[in-house]
Amino acid sequence: MEEEDFKTRLKSAKNKAKSKYSEGKEPSTSGMGHAFKMSTELVAAVAVGTIIGFILDNWFGTKPWLILIFFFVGVIAGIMNVIKSAKRMQQK
Amino acid sequence: MASNPMYQFNVYRIGPEIKLGAVDISFTNASLFMVISSLAILIIFNLGAKKKTLIPDKLQLLSELSYSFVAKMISDTAGSKAKPYFSFIFSLFMFVLFCNMFGMIPYAFTVTSHIIVTFVLAAFIFIGVTIIGFMKHGLGYLKLFVPSGVPMVLLPLIVVIEIISYLSRPISLSVRLFANMMAGHTMMKVFGGFVISLGIVGGWLPLSFSVALTGLEILVAFLQAYVFAILTCIYLNDALNLHH
Repeated sequence: MEEEDFKTRLKSAKNKAKSKYSEGKEPSTSGMGHAFKMSTELVAAVAVGTIIGFILDNWFGTKPWLILIFFFVGVIAGIMNVIKSAKRMQQK
Repeated sequence: MASNPMYQFNVYRIGPEIKLGAVDISFTNASLFMVISSLAILIIFNLGAKKKTLIPDKLQLLSELSYSFVAKMISDTAGSKAKPYFSFIFSLFMFVLFCNMFGMIPYAFTVTSHIIVTFVLAAFIFIGVTIIGFMKHGLGYLKLFVPSGVPMVLLPLIVVIEIISYLSRPISLSVRLFANMMAGHTMMKVFGGFVISLGIVGGWLPLSFSVALTGLEILVAFLQAYVFAILTCIYLNDALNLHH
């Protein structure tokens, strides 16, 4: 009797744990954490784009052009990063 | 000298100079605080895991709470496939948290306020996640850079943008932690300096600011460790469950 009861309880607890471990969705972080995340994501992509443009310019000797192009590509990448994480926030 | 707000970030040698080839690997105050926080983590969690009573004492409660906190964070963000990486993310979170929190003690040194420390952590995560992605999906991991439903004309541009945004991950991860810690500690020092220079008459306002800032900095110290760990989980999720 008591054992039966324990077994059903164990089963429901296991099911609960399983549904908890379902595939990835964003947890409810505090808003401040999200704010920190987004601001640096925007800046970092611009920095990486500019650095890549600088290195490629030095390789190919096309001094001002690639750094300009990659700067703007970096800006686009940064904005897309922010949009992506905003979408992730909305999904939950 | 000590009134300079940036003076707190000085790294100096403790003990003799040790050289490995041309590289200076002497023991510094930064290494000292890294050792202190690692030891504190080891001691707290070993003591907490020792007694397995049904009604926990404070240390056991602390370690059990932090275990379930990190476990929930991983399962929520990266799913059940990320369970094997629990130990890595747990140690990462605890190390960053303890380094941040030890930095809040007056006269202590904040290890995470140096970009080289945070960048090394972020670079390890970045390289590790990339290796895991290629191990799980083979060359199919490159599909991460090719989102579905994009017209062929735009594809080269999109791939470049995706690669830049992938490469920006370690930068944003490391700069966020470093900038927050450094800015906060500099601000506290500046307001502390105002208290002295305004004296007993006008010093009360910056003093109250300092008190409020201390509270804010403790919040930021925890939040940054949390954000660092959760972003690691998100990157791990991208590598494990490829759905683009």
